[in-house]
Amino acid sequence: MSGKGLYILKRLLGAVITLAVIATLTFALLRILPGGPFDTEKALPDEVKANIEARYGLDRPLLEQYLNFMSGLVRGDLGESYKYVGRSVADIISEALPVSMELGLMSLLLAYIVGIPLGVFAAARHNSAFDTGAMLIAVSGVALPSFMVGPLLISLFSFGIPFAFLQGSLPPALWESPAHYILPVVTLGLRPAAILARMTRGAVLESIHQDYVRTARAKGVSERVVLFKHVLRNSLIPILSISGPLVAGLLSGSFIIEIIFAIPGIGKHLVQSVTNRDYPLILALTLVFSMMLVIANLVVDLLYGFVDPRVRPEKSGSGG
Amino acid sequence: MAQVVARFSIWRRCGFLLTVFGVSLALTACTGRRSDRITLPEGGEALLTKAETLKVNLTSEPPTLDWSKATDVSSSKVINNIMEGLVAYDLQSEELALRPALAEKWSSDAAARVWVFELRADLKWHDGVEFTGQQVVDGFQRLLAKDTGSEYAYFLFGIKNAKAFNQGQVGWDKVGVKLLAPRKLQVTLEAPMSYFPHLLAHTSTFPVRLDLIQKYGAKWTEAGNMVGLGPYRLRAWRHDQDLLLEKHDAYWGSPKPEIRYVHFLMVNEASTALNLFDSGTLDVVDQIPITERKRRRAQKEYRRVGMLQSLYYGFNTQIEPTNNPNLRRAIAHAIDREKIVKILDGGEVPLTGWVPPGMFGYFSDVGLEPNLEKARAYLADAGYGEGKKPLPKLELHFNTNEVHQSVAEAVQAQLRENLGLEVELKSAEWKSYLDQLKVKPPHIFRFGWQADYPDPDNFMNLMTSYSDNNRTRWKNSAYDALIKRGASETDREKRREIYREASRLLLEEGVAAVPLYANVSHMLIHQRVENYPANALSRFEFKGTRLK
Repeated sequence: MSGKGLYILKRLLGAVITLAVIATLTFALLRILPGGPFDTEKALPDEVKANIEARYGLDRPLLEQYLNFMSGLVRGDLGESYKYVGRSVADIISEALPVSMELGLMSLLLAYIVGIPLGVFAAARHNSAFDTGAMLIAVSGVALPSFMVGPLLISLFSFGIPFAFLQGSLPPALWESPAHYILPVVTLGLRPAAILARMTRGAVLESIHQDYVRTARAKGVSERVVLFKHVLRNSLIPILSISGPLVAGLLSGSFIIEIIFAIPGIGKHLVQSVTNRDYPLILALTLVFSMMLVIANLVVDLLYGFVDPRVRPEKSGSGG
Repeated sequence: MAQVVARFSIWRRCGFLLTVFGVSLALTACTGRRSDRITLPEGGEALLTKAETLKVNLTSEPPTLDWSKATDVSSSKVINNIMEGLVAYDLQSEELALRPALAEKWSSDAAARVWVFELRADLKWHDGVEFTGQQVVDGFQRLLAKDTGSEYAYFLFGIKNAKAFNQGQVGWDKVGVKLLAPRKLQVTLEAPMSYFPHLLAHTSTFPVRLDLIQKYGAKWTEAGNMVGLGPYRLRAWRHDQDLLLEKHDAYWGSPKPEIRYVHFLMVNEASTALNLFDSGTLDVVDQIPITERKRRRAQKEYRRVGMLQSLYYGFNTQIEPTNNPNLRRAIAHAIDREKIVKILDGGEVPLTGWVPPGMFGYFSDVGLEPNLEKARAYLADAGYGEGKKPLPKLELHFNTNEVHQSVAEAVQAQLRENLGLEVELKSAEWKSYLDQLKVKPPHIFRFGWQADYPDPDNFMNLMTSYSDNNRTRWKNSAYDALIKRGASETDREKRREIYREASRLLLEEGVAAVPLYANVSHMLIHQRVENYPANALSRFEFKGTRLK
């Protein structure tokens, strides 16, 4: 097996162990949390509650429940939701996750398209009015919470406040057509775009004064090629490093954005499953998110090698 | 590559990328989600025109449409349009009287212990299958069966041997449910129960089609599989997103449904729903955030509806110092509900009695009224004040919520001002709160009750010593006996007096709890919607609703 193959295998093995530990910890934490899935406002008679718990196997000893859960995981069976009667957790996730991923992917695309060029230009025109302006936008983008940006955009583009001519130009919520996508995507994409812009600017500023840049310029290479080929490529490492968590965070959706815009994604389930003490759903969601984070980080680590030949993950293995 | 890049200006490059972004947006859109068209699982699609579609917010995904298992409002909003029970409510009548539905008439023996229901003939389910008495029996049996694991199984525990059947101790043949003839159902109860027919208006007791449940399993409630006997049919259900009902032209009852489609959206956040109402997407919203109420009240679409829901503060009557009835009495007299209601500013009705207004069993003259003199006298009787014990420090708990918070703060201020009592407020997340009330209720706690059916027994029963919902740990055998008598009494006036006496015992002598107010719901209903079913029971039956 090649060095890279071995490296990936090692990382995947590590990921499986990490996930098993997370599953166990979450399982334990849930049982410590006060209040159970069938504690309701209208208290159930003990015998009725016992019947329901028996139906979901909650009457078995805790260790047995844990082993059942883990063996289910190995078989790929995530169980049935306690809250949504008769719906499998796998169904719930497979219906909601793609929506969140769609939203996340579009926001991510927006963030890269806006953030990276903004950072590069700001750095190229260091200390100019453009730089100051771009960074002002970037800092606001990081600082402004989405629960504020979302409603502001809705007021502006759906209700025309304060510019009446904009009234009705975009729908205020739901997830049904491209017009519906714009506001949530922009709201969600703003923050990562701002983060990327600032990261890019910093990285580009660092490499722009390097000797090889001066050489390229001396050779008469156009400024744009210098910027986008020589400088940007060498500035990609820090951008990549934050891309892992950024991608995982965006693809997993954002609870607040999904609530503000009534988007049928996974974010709502993340919060409500805990409120409902829907154990199988909480466990499955925790694992899905952990998995996404692990994979995103692995992909980023592999990409390092492509971007910067000095970073070769398999170096320590077979010697590259 | 360098040359290629150089040939594009940077701005054109950005423009190119933005186009890619736009195209990808458009491509995702082509996956077929359009608001005005919904693909039906049975094939074809429904075209939802504004003139033919009522758009209502369901707030959240119904946990289930299986009526033997459903317990929450969003499920029953849908179910009550697809299916009907043996009896129903006349929602226009003053104290919400019962009217015939699947049962044409009913009667009981003098003791109200044996009930006979005569079922309507020639009724057909949405799929054309005939309605039979056996389906009613199947509904009861399924609700009560141990392995159904239904939360509302206890609803029918009043039927002879039903509880034992639910615990697997006896077979179904021992349960007091019998078909005397194909359309004549006899129900024998453990003890007399004058309000028994009310239970049959509740979704949990609706008849079921075992053939469909066997055929589709848990998926029998999906669109395409599900049928009912109600005015609307389930046509589409895109989980966590929306749900579509279409009127059933062959509906047997009256009035006939008029609106072709009822389109339920699932918008969780009240302010988002308001935005959708303002932009003309939703026709009705039934939640208005506190901060918006004042502004919205001026709107012509605004409607306020009294609910059969009362909020109260319960005492833990078993721990120091709230085990002292005089201290509880002092606190009850020191709370000014008018002021609380003023703070909430939503038209809530101050309540001293136990049963909310709008229901049989409501008394405006029962309970402890605000009275500072009496409050201070009772505090002294409780052994507190100058030369006596120092005033105790109390804990008041509530579940985290802005309304409950402002009520608690108001009560805290009133008790400090009126009695000099120090009260510490603590809030907890809902399930943790429920757990705490079960394990170790604090001195004072917030709770509420919403009617399952508009009979006083539904409220009065809460505080019996054998009720699982009595979190005050107050036990009074005279009260228990009165509630049992009230349940079996068939004379309406005698019944009323029994509940008046029981309410006095609970609130004036025992003071296990202090009622605060009856809740109201705030709605916005678009002017084009006529006869929207806004009622105290939160029973949303759309068959009488029209669009202008």
